[in-house]
Amino acid sequence: MKIICLVKFTPDIENFIYDYEKNVLVRENTRMVINPDDACALALALKYKSKHPETVVEVVTMAPLSILPHVQDLIRRDVDSAAVISDKLYVGSDTYVTSKILAKYLMNQTFDLILTGTHAIDGDTSHVPSQIGERLDIDQLSNIIRVDEQLLSLTSATVDVDAEHSISTYEIELPAILSLQKESKYKLPYVKYVDIEKDVSDRIQIIDNAMLGFDQSEVGIDGSLTKVSRTYVKKMSKNDRVIVKNDEAGIETVYAFLKEKGFV
Amino acid sequence: MEKCLIFVDSEYAKNAIELLEVARQIFDLAPYETYALCIHDITESANGAFDHIIYVSDESVKCHDAKAIAIIMEELHVIHNFGAILIPATQIGRMLAPRLAIRLHVGLVADVTAIEHIDGALQMVRPAFSGKIMACISNLGKKPIMMSVRQNVFLYNEDLNKATSHETFYPKSDLTTNIKWIKTVEKPKSKDIRDSEVLVSGGGGVKKGFHRLTELAEALGGEVSASRHIVDSGIASRSIQVGQSGKTVSPKLYIALGIYGSLQHVEGLKNVKHIISVNINKDAPICSLSDIVVEGDAIEFIEKLVDKIKSEADESK
Repeated sequence: MKIICLVKFTPDIENFIYDYEKNVLVRENTRMVINPDDACALALALKYKSKHPETVVEVVTMAPLSILPHVQDLIRRDVDSAAVISDKLYVGSDTYVTSKILAKYLMNQTFDLILTGTHAIDGDTSHVPSQIGERLDIDQLSNIIRVDEQLLSLTSATVDVDAEHSISTYEIELPAILSLQKESKYKLPYVKYVDIEKDVSDRIQIIDNAMLGFDQSEVGIDGSLTKVSRTYVKKMSKNDRVIVKNDEAGIETVYAFLKEKGFV
Repeated sequence: MEKCLIFVDSEYAKNAIELLEVARQIFDLAPYETYALCIHDITESANGAFDHIIYVSDESVKCHDAKAIAIIMEELHVIHNFGAILIPATQIGRMLAPRLAIRLHVGLVADVTAIEHIDGALQMVRPAFSGKIMACISNLGKKPIMMSVRQNVFLYNEDLNKATSHETFYPKSDLTTNIKWIKTVEKPKSKDIRDSEVLVSGGGGVKKGFHRLTELAEALGGEVSASRHIVDSGIASRSIQVGQSGKTVSPKLYIALGIYGSLQHVEGLKNVKHIISVNINKDAPICSLSDIVVEGDAIEFIEKLVDKIKSEADESK
């Protein structure tokens, strides 16, 4: 089985700082991480490969070339190959364009299954997997928390989908795109000690626009159909608040408030 | 007259009504008509709220098949030339909207929380970078305006006694599905935090004693909710997470225990009547939104307040 894993590298949001005075995001020194949902998708592919050694796993990512060390790190975890789609022309692409670029690459690949994440921690639109599904004319399911490995075959997969109040099980014909969420808890394997310095550069292919052949007007900011016209920081409104200590008088104030408003 | 199509996710009928408010804000004073698309099931609350209901009863169409529903909506657009298509950001809606946007070659904005008109241009507002900033996004392409809309944010207060017309629609395309439904298991009944009038919510400051929040929630007849910090640490389930990446809640009382109040968290608080926050840092952002700020340890606060509530209740017996 050939599995393609679509992954995204995102800034580590937890350590993201916003400069409220200058009104800009401080991007310096922000660490890039593999998007958590995508990591689960890749972990599932590698878990399946460890039990079915004939499986081939390819990572596909659209990213600046500065993320190459991260891609090498994934290869050392037993990924067979990686394609890094990168071109200056693609900077500023919205989801409509991003899915167009990724779909053009994927159209010329052979695969039985595409695994990816549901949400990305930076944009969090969840558009791209469904949009690629539409462009490749295949099915796609989001919010997957379990793929039944026993039932996974070249023709179908059985998956559990988390739909807030319930969990539904579906059988989906392959090829299809399965988008996992981090609650699936598949964990990436560690890099073996002997492989830490392993040269894997021959297994990474860089795909630029010379290979994909888009016109400048079709991609990047020019090709996008949505535009961020303004960003702002929401002002928190001030209340006439009462500040008390966590002592008897404070508790008395809180209790009186709850009583006045009818909560106790 | 402009037409607006709204997808009704029958699992979350209430959200379809909320989207009528989005339509009202998009078209502002211009005349417009609203169309609800219902698959298999005519949602009772859509009657009287929408101008038209389009009903699809074709057995081969499955409610879980976003690919097929996108095809149906494209067929409808060819007939009606909608000015706007609105889809609730539910599990199916979030798979459906991107597919339809590709079919119609239009831009799509996800999880919209507000509509603005700036210099005559429509701006869709959504939180970005995990709620650290708000982004105004405009659509550059042709009609229709397309967006998925955050659940539980908009409130529709207009006429619900319209004379709604009904039409059954028969899709032309072959919509046989490749996704077979096997079974659905309901999750254990924890009350939906969005329906709760009192929420006792915990953040990083109560990581160790999070389980104790239940004591206060029970004393106040409310539910426990959590910040992303707690959910990401694996202490609580995502279903009780408040914030941009969790749920938007509108309780009458929100008790924030050891919650810092990052923008992404505050984004999840809409029309909350009263906030009491307990924090060792009285300058944490959540405190500026609060009616009462208790400076101190939140777990200690739970113990003291629960004791107080119990002793007062005993006295009045």
